[in-house]
Amino acid sequence: MNSIITISTVLNTASMGLIILGLFIIFTQKNLIKMVIGLGLADTGVNILLVSTGYIEGNTAPIFSNTSLKISQMVDPVPQALVLTSIVIGFGVSALALALIIRLFEKTGTLDTSKIRGLKW
Amino acid sequence: MVNPILLILIPLGTAFLISTVAGALKNSTKYIAFLALLANVWISISLLPKVLDHPVNVIIAGIKPPVGINLLVGPMGAIFSIIISVAGVLVLLYSFKYIEGESQSKYYTLFLLLITGAQGMILTGDVFNLFVFFEILAISSYILVGYSGDRNGFEAAVKYLILGSVGSVFILVAIALIYQETGTLNMADIAGKFALVASGKKMMILLFFITGMGVEAAIFPLNSWLPDAHSSAPSSISAVLSGFVIEVALVVIIKFVYTIFAMTEVLQYLSLVGVITLLVGEFAAFNQGNIKRVLAYSSIGQIGLILFAMSLNSEAGLSAGMMQIVNHTASKSILFLVAGYMIKRTGSYQFSDYKGIAKKMPVSSFLFVLGVLSLVGVPPFLGFFSKLNIIIAALSSGNVFNTVMVFLILLGTIIESVYFLKIIQIFYIGEPVKEGVKEAPFFAVLPIALFAVVILLGFLVLPEIKDYAGSAAAELFTKIQMAQVF
Repeated sequence: MNSIITISTVLNTASMGLIILGLFIIFTQKNLIKMVIGLGLADTGVNILLVSTGYIEGNTAPIFSNTSLKISQMVDPVPQALVLTSIVIGFGVSALALALIIRLFEKTGTLDTSKIRGLKW
Repeated sequence: MVNPILLILIPLGTAFLISTVAGALKNSTKYIAFLALLANVWISISLLPKVLDHPVNVIIAGIKPPVGINLLVGPMGAIFSIIISVAGVLVLLYSFKYIEGESQSKYYTLFLLLITGAQGMILTGDVFNLFVFFEILAISSYILVGYSGDRNGFEAAVKYLILGSVGSVFILVAIALIYQETGTLNMADIAGKFALVASGKKMMILLFFITGMGVEAAIFPLNSWLPDAHSSAPSSISAVLSGFVIEVALVVIIKFVYTIFAMTEVLQYLSLVGVITLLVGEFAAFNQGNIKRVLAYSSIGQIGLILFAMSLNSEAGLSAGMMQIVNHTASKSILFLVAGYMIKRTGSYQFSDYKGIAKKMPVSSFLFVLGVLSLVGVPPFLGFFSKLNIIIAALSSGNVFNTVMVFLILLGTIIESVYFLKIIQIFYIGEPVKEGVKEAPFFAVLPIALFAVVILLGFLVLPEIKDYAGSAAAELFTKIQMAQVF
């Protein structure tokens, strides 16, 4: 590839951007739902970072559907397996977070962390 | 030989079994959970003599490392397994009477998953597997913190979940960067290949990892969730969270620093962070009126002390830190479990309401005093010897920095003894004001008394404890077990 912007650069920039954006949202927003959205963004960023670690320029997906493909023509399959696990965990955590927030909303009637004053935040 | 993978499989399988048969068996599922953890205790104890002469490397699913996943059990892993299973089974016994209400099988399912996660984090030899077990541990503890179903419980659980997830993002970034640099996920393989990686890059990865795991280990700037989570959870869960969950995360950090990254230059900073954590925890505990918040802040103090001991970059420090972990697990469990029934009987979290409670709950109060004495470090309790060893290890290094740190630790201990004596004074002096307060049931007192036996009779088996802690320290310090994987 001769162009300055390679796919790896795009992936790295996107992942770092998403992680920083997600963490920024978590630490600045007071609305609990927005914090969960921030968490989702950060998770997506990490997943992109994981996939990009196994990326090999010009190679294709590691699936043996096309028998003419050689192993040297495929990208590293390990990070893709990791990302699947990580996506499932991220999904579970978000679902649990939303469920807990619903119950907290029933008890307090607000989603604003500065108005929930039972404990110190 | 008993396969160490059973330590993970038994609680995991039982957790699924319990949730499927819960409808038919109602609340008798707790006995199944108890039997599963008893089996765990037996396996972990039978494992210890074997790993002492040779670390056990278990290959899973027939694929050899570095490609496949393996478990790597050295003395430290076996000792921690024993701590986790023994503390787990005793706290489970306490829960029999303490946890009331309808959906008890959910509690026991989550409790077993928490044990699974903790065992897995200690035993695994694969960094991504470590992350998966970390999430099992974290998710089950988020739910258990909110188990009581009150407002504070949910609030603490949401707070813990958000901070914990930020931590897991950092851990995952560290794992992705490790894979990018070395192309492997096996711990021993990483340790070998890291020798060729520039130390600046290694430092960055290590900082990501320490930040992520430090949230769970409650290291100073990352521990704002702990006082809320540990004080709002049911007391049995507080005992487990303080007893071994934060220690597991801490030991994983220490293991990464010593063996995988082999970057002992960060240890100086970690020991400073440890002492800051200790002082912050003890000073914060001093001003609390809620007994569980006192205990939670005191846990922060103790984790700081353990971090300091383990960051001394000497075998003596590591083994003293291991002893302090045993002491903290036993004594803090006693305090949280006793506090659980005091809160239940009086209906109040404020210890100022417990005036003269020792007349109504004599056994519990006495056990509380034993726990405090060992935690503070009064001879002849186990806590005295572990603290003494930490101080000897720090002073024998002979540099000024560590000597100053020892003075700060002693200052922290003085503060700790002052606020605990204040609580004990309230227990024993004055007439009981509350009516209808009675002693905790036998099933609750028995496990607390067994924890007390550990700290009381610890000095009888002190040479053995020192031996085991020493071999665990040697495992981390000399990295022999890493070389034996392939």
